[in-house]
Parts: sequence; C-alpha cells; structure tokens
Amino acid sequence: MVNDSPRIEIRTRSYPTHASAERSALMEFEFAVNAPGGKDAPSMAEIAWSTGDIRKALADVPPIVPPQVRREFQRLLQPWHPGRYVESYRRSGGILNLFTPPWGEKQDESWNNLLAEWKARTFADDRSRRVALAELEQQWNNTPHPFFAGLTPAQVMIGGGPQEAKLADEFLAHMEQTLAKQTFEGEGDGLVKTLLLLRGWQVEPQPNGQTPMQIILAERSGLLVRRAHSLSETH
Amino acid sequence: MKSKRKSREPSMPAGSGEYRQGIRQADEVITKNGIEILADNWQQLALDWFAPREPDRSALARYITANRDQIGVAWAREILRLQVFFGVPDYKRIVEHYDRAFRSYPRCALIEMWVAGYITRTSGDFWRARQMYWNAATELPSFAKPHYELGFMNYLLGDFPGAVERFNQAVTLVAANDAELGSRIFYNRGLVRMALEEDKQAAIADVEEALRRKPDYAQAKETLRALKGKHKWVPW
Repeated sequence: MVNDSPRIEIRTRSYPTHASAERSALMEFEFAVNAPGGKDAPSMAEIAWSTGDIRKALADVPPIVPPQVRREFQRLLQPWHPGRYVESYRRSGGILNLFTPPWGEKQDESWNNLLAEWKARTFADDRSRRVALAELEQQWNNTPHPFFAGLTPAQVMIGGGPQEAKLADEFLAHMEQTLAKQTFEGEGDGLVKTLLLLRGWQVEPQPNGQTPMQIILAERSGLLVRRAHSLSETH
Repeated sequence: MKSKRKSREPSMPAGSGEYRQGIRQADEVITKNGIEILADNWQQLALDWFAPREPDRSALARYITANRDQIGVAWAREILRLQVFFGVPDYKRIVEHYDRAFRSYPRCALIEMWVAGYITRTSGDFWRARQMYWNAATELPSFAKPHYELGFMNYLLGDFPGAVERFNQAVTLVAANDAELGSRIFYNRGLVRMALEEDKQAAIADVEEALRRKPDYAQAKETLRALKGKHKWVPW
C-alpha cells in the first residue's frame, strides 16, 4: 500500500554562517516553486506564469505548510518588476551563491559602474536619458554578475530546478563530511574553506561529462525560456 | 597574512577585560625588547617594527609624513602592539585592537592591507575586507598583494574571470624576490585558469613558476603531479 499523504521530513545540516543557513531555506523554497507538481503536472511557478493567479498556483500546497512558508512562496511567485531585477538581491542564488556573505546595491560594483557611466553621459533630452537607463537595467538583468557566481540576475530570479536541487543536496552532504572534523580560526575561516570546497566542486565534471556549474546554468536558462513562453501565451 | 604562524595560543574570549589583558601582555613584550617610545624615536620605531622592509617601509613613511600632525607617540604605541599581535598571531586580538585603537586615526592603506585578511578569517566580514583591499589597490598602486587578495576574493565569490584579471595584475607587480607572495599568485592563477578554461598547459606553467619561486611549496608539488598525471585533476 502506498501512502500519498504529505510527509514531514526533518533534516539537520550544519552551515558555516547563520546567513547561509537562512539562505538555504530560501533556496529550498525556490526549488519547491519550480518542482513539477507531479507526472506531467506543471510547477507552482508555471501555473502562476500561465494563469497570472498566485492563489491557483498555491492551491495544492498542503494545509500543514506554515503561513510564513506560504508567504515566501507568494513572494517568489509575484510578477517580476519590468525594470532592473532589484529583487534578485533578495533571492538565494542557489547552491553557487549559498555561502556568499549578504550583499546588495551598496556593494554592487557592476551596477554602480554602469550607473556612474550613465550619469557621466550627456543626453539630448530627458526621454533619451530614461531610455538609456532602461537599456542599462536590461543589460544588468541579463549579464553574468561577478557577485552571483556568474549567474545573471534573471537566472537568480528564476530560482533553481530539480537538477540543481539534487546537486545542492549532494554538495551539502559532501561539505558536511569534508569539513565536519576540521577546526577553524573563526566563522570567516570556516566560510573561506567552505567556499574553496564549493568552487572546486562546481567545476568537477559529473558522470555525464558536464560540471555542476554547466548543469545549473543550463537548467536556469531553460526555466527562463519556459517562463518567457508561458508569459507570451498568457498575454 | 603579515607573519607566518608561530605557536598557537588559546583564543581570547571577547570582552574589554580580556582586551586590556592582551594589551598588557603586548606592552610587556615591547618593554622586554628594551623599547621606550618617545617623541624623538616614535617614527623610527614604527617603521622598524611594522614595516622593516620595502615597499612597506616607504608606504608607511609616506603615511607618517602626510599625517604627522594627527599621529605621534600614542599612535606608534598602538602600531607596535598590533605588530606584537601579528607575531603570535591571534586573529581575534588583531581585529579587536585594530577596531579599537585605530578608528581615531586617519585611515592607513598599508595597515588595512595587513589587517583585512584577519577580518575575513575571523568575522567573515567579507565586504569590509574587500573594501580595505580596494583602498590598498588604489592608494598603493605598486603593491601586488591587494590585487592578489582581491583575485582570491573574486575566486571565492565564483567570479573566475575577475580572479584571473586580478592575478594577472598581481603578476606584473610582484617583486622577483618576494618568493612567498609570488609563488601564491602563480599557483592560484594556475588553479583558476584550470577551473575557468580547463587550460591545463597554462595551469602547469603557472604551478611550475610557483615552484621555481618557492621550491618547497608542498601543495604546488602535489598539484603539479596531479596536473601531469593521467587521472582527471580535481582541484580540492
């Protein structure tokens, strides 16, 4: 007999910093909204894209799911701002960004450089000035960002898919096994060693010959294509 | 890091009482060395203790000259204490002393450059350390170290192209006789080139250069064997 009722899984994991532990929860929520609803069933994100109805997307979320998790799902499923994806600063960035210390616009050298160039330019009128800024925002959205481990802000916004979820699980188990017996000079030392392990792991080819980084980038790009397709059908 | 590690001391828990105890211990070390910091020797002592070699010495001398009206005997005492903490080295004490003692003085890019690594390793305040290295790269343009450290940080952030760019800059600036830093720059550039482009030949050339500069670099020896071996090289 198969029991199809919702299950609660409890897992304990160690993280080098409090921020990365918190971000890991967000990463899991992002995986959850992109996870297929069942065999051939759309994910919550796909339902939200194709119907524009977040309530519909959340209809199958079991009642046992706490309200704060439901609110996080709602936040993740909100339509994206048409300009710069500032919200990407508040996404996890997936396993490749799990341990990066929190940062935002203040630290964003890429955006601040683009903005400084825009401010230094002269424009014929206000309209062309605004158009140039909008172009810069799109450029930022779709250019690999050095602080997002090479993901574009759009790839960060979309969240990870099932392949990344599996890879993340593998890496976190590997991390625990490797670093559990080591001692560290401080929280920062543990963080540096974790990041060194992650950066080595992400370029190590998997049995299919692709590296985790390549798999993650391809999956996120695929999700972006599906989103664009769904949105174009809706509107 | 400024000094090679000597014997480990137990870490001091946070708290002003513990901090004061650390300061007393540092002052004892300074006194045992027959040092008396006076109005006519503080500059010389700061240079001799904190920056005995070039190019650090010239950089600190420029800072002293530029800020002579705001620093003096008290500042020199703090920098000698900092050097004592570097000598242990006690990571937490270095950062705590820097934060407490130097905030009232003009910012010194040279001191920041040496303290930033300890900030990264203790609190993990990555962005603060990164800003300190940026300051050093801007204000000490002939120094290779800030570029090396920024390259290493770029690598940790997953920005491999940015890391190679910084390591390239460091390669052009590092002194031929700075075996420690030079070997680390080449070694790390080799690893990142391998990660970024799977450029095994470039990686081998860099690791060989690291070993030429520092023949007893055990990690580089091991990596070179792995790079030249038949098995797929795993960088961790």
